[in-house]
Amino acid sequence: MTNATRVLIVDDDLINRMVLTALLSAAGYVVSEAVDGQQAVSVFQEQAFDIVLLDIMMPVMDGYQAAKIIKQNSTRFVPIIFLTALTDDQALAKCLESGGDDFLIKPYNHIVLRAKIDSMLRIAALYKKVEAQNLELNEYHHRVQQEIDVGKTVFSKILSGASRTTHSGLHYSMSPMSIFNGDMIVAEKNKSGGLDIMISDFTGHGLSAAIGSIPVSDIFAAMTSKGFAFSEILAECNNKLKKMLPTQMFMAAAFISIDRSNHVVTVVNCGLPEVYLVRNGAVVKAFKSMNLPLGIIQQAAENYAYEMEAIQFGDSMLAMTDGVLEAQNSSAEMYGKQRLLSNLKANVSASGLMDKILQDCAQHAADVGQSDDITLLEFSYLESVETVVRQEVAKALKPAQWSMRFSLDMQSLRNFDILPYIMQGINGLQSIPNGRSTVHTILTEIYANALDHGLLNLDSSMKNSPDGYLAFYQEKQRRLDTIVKGNVQIELAHELKPGGGGKLVIHVIDSGKGFDFLKRNTDLSNNAGYSGRGMGLIQKLCTEVRFLGKGNVIMAVYEWAEPNAIKLTM
Amino acid sequence: MSITVKISDDKTTATISVSGRFDFSLHNEFRKSYKDAGVKGGSFVLDLASTEYMDSSALGMLLMLKEFADSAASKIRIIHINNDIRDILTIASFDKLFTLE
Repeated sequence: MTNATRVLIVDDDLINRMVLTALLSAAGYVVSEAVDGQQAVSVFQEQAFDIVLLDIMMPVMDGYQAAKIIKQNSTRFVPIIFLTALTDDQALAKCLESGGDDFLIKPYNHIVLRAKIDSMLRIAALYKKVEAQNLELNEYHHRVQQEIDVGKTVFSKILSGASRTTHSGLHYSMSPMSIFNGDMIVAEKNKSGGLDIMISDFTGHGLSAAIGSIPVSDIFAAMTSKGFAFSEILAECNNKLKKMLPTQMFMAAAFISIDRSNHVVTVVNCGLPEVYLVRNGAVVKAFKSMNLPLGIIQQAAENYAYEMEAIQFGDSMLAMTDGVLEAQNSSAEMYGKQRLLSNLKANVSASGLMDKILQDCAQHAADVGQSDDITLLEFSYLESVETVVRQEVAKALKPAQWSMRFSLDMQSLRNFDILPYIMQGINGLQSIPNGRSTVHTILTEIYANALDHGLLNLDSSMKNSPDGYLAFYQEKQRRLDTIVKGNVQIELAHELKPGGGGKLVIHVIDSGKGFDFLKRNTDLSNNAGYSGRGMGLIQKLCTEVRFLGKGNVIMAVYEWAEPNAIKLTM
Repeated sequence: MSITVKISDDKTTATISVSGRFDFSLHNEFRKSYKDAGVKGGSFVLDLASTEYMDSSALGMLLMLKEFADSAASKIRIIHINNDIRDILTIASFDKLFTLE
């Protein structure tokens, strides 16, 4: 194939054809001839041409007709120049209407003809280039679309893990695109039997915004189930995102921790709209954002500002991403906080609050349709909770004989939550079939007891009202910060029992002044109040619980048996 | 068009004004505005007097400006903040990163 330009000359006049052919061949073009429109159409179908020079008045089929058919049949741009003796305006206009790209009036100047041909070829080349680019663009678009589809599928599988969906009391709504745009809700049961919930929203849109939510959801799930404190989970997520994300990207999030044993909610709001605590149809507390969104600066766990509030059964927590407040109607008016708050007040019944807001918000933006991602969650604090039985991953490590001992001074007690590490340590040593969470509970209660009452000498009667809890925790923090001397020791020893199973002996010793434990009422039936539950619980779970020394030592024994142990009788 | 930059004669202060919606569509223009200003060891003044709205990608752009200003040993002031925009900046706790006037 040569690069020579192929020209089709269509004219019924032999002399005209000969002159043109001679002229154009001499200029290096490859020339073919046709004697009328009909012949031109059939030659054009058999061979490829770069340009057509077309007479108008011809027998069989005239130039107008031929131009129409040729333009219809060609898949690429082949310019047609009419060469005509007609000079009236209408005839010339018809040249262009029938598909011609230009015309030249006979008799024509050769130099002008050459110039017109070249100019048309330049346009054709441009067409070709645009067409090729279009094709490339289409292919690219197609490929990207495919990748996005795959990404979406993978992504929603990763994030729609069961942990998010199966908690009683938790309802949420996420528009489908919002998941892929970096909105996320994750929830895990915490050690109080309550729920730790995180709702988050990345800056920007699309895949790049969404990618960051994967490590965050992993960190959240892993650390919550290990019993890490909220602020530590937050700091870990933040520092991971800080390392991972480019400067202009960050994640706004709210962490909501529902403590079922103390009836307290803790909220850490990092850049999300206010989180509401709703009681009897009224907003009793709005948790404002007090922190930077995650991923902007490195921040230590203790620097996160949080708020606590006592909660009652029947209360609801409501949290949302800014898509809800920013939903616009046709006059670019946002849904806004005022509308939301009045809607909250109007819907006195606590249940279905979320649906009402979604409806109202959709109505507000009805004439424009939803433009942004809308993510909204409602948590109802219910008295009865379905227990979600989670299969423990049995690492089937054989029981062993071991002991460990920790001693923590005030500095360590302030800054470090030792329990997750102890639990990790035990898990690494051996499995305690069906007993892992029981051991966790026992340790948590004994440790809290030693710290709160033994070392910090806090009065548990402070906790006799729901509001007192808050005061209790504030006082606890104050004493932790101010007391200089003191320590708590934890000793664990595990031994094997003949015939299978084992026995875990726990000693927790605090440096406090102790108390007269002989006077302590250990009757469980009298422990229905807010306080004292912890000790009652320990007694229920352990085979033996004793106070020793001057009341500053607790010893607890937890015994476990091999499940499904088949006794062989001979 | 939506961003205008005024640089003081001594090249120590660049005043960047954003009009209309401050969102991702201004990304390149905004970045160019502070990069081309040639300010070192001086200050950037972000004038939001005629800014109607700011979205989260604009917050991201502020972080880019901060990074740039820090590397050029320059300060940032944000001025003429209307109530809506102040809300957005406060919710994101950006008052901890920037001087809001």
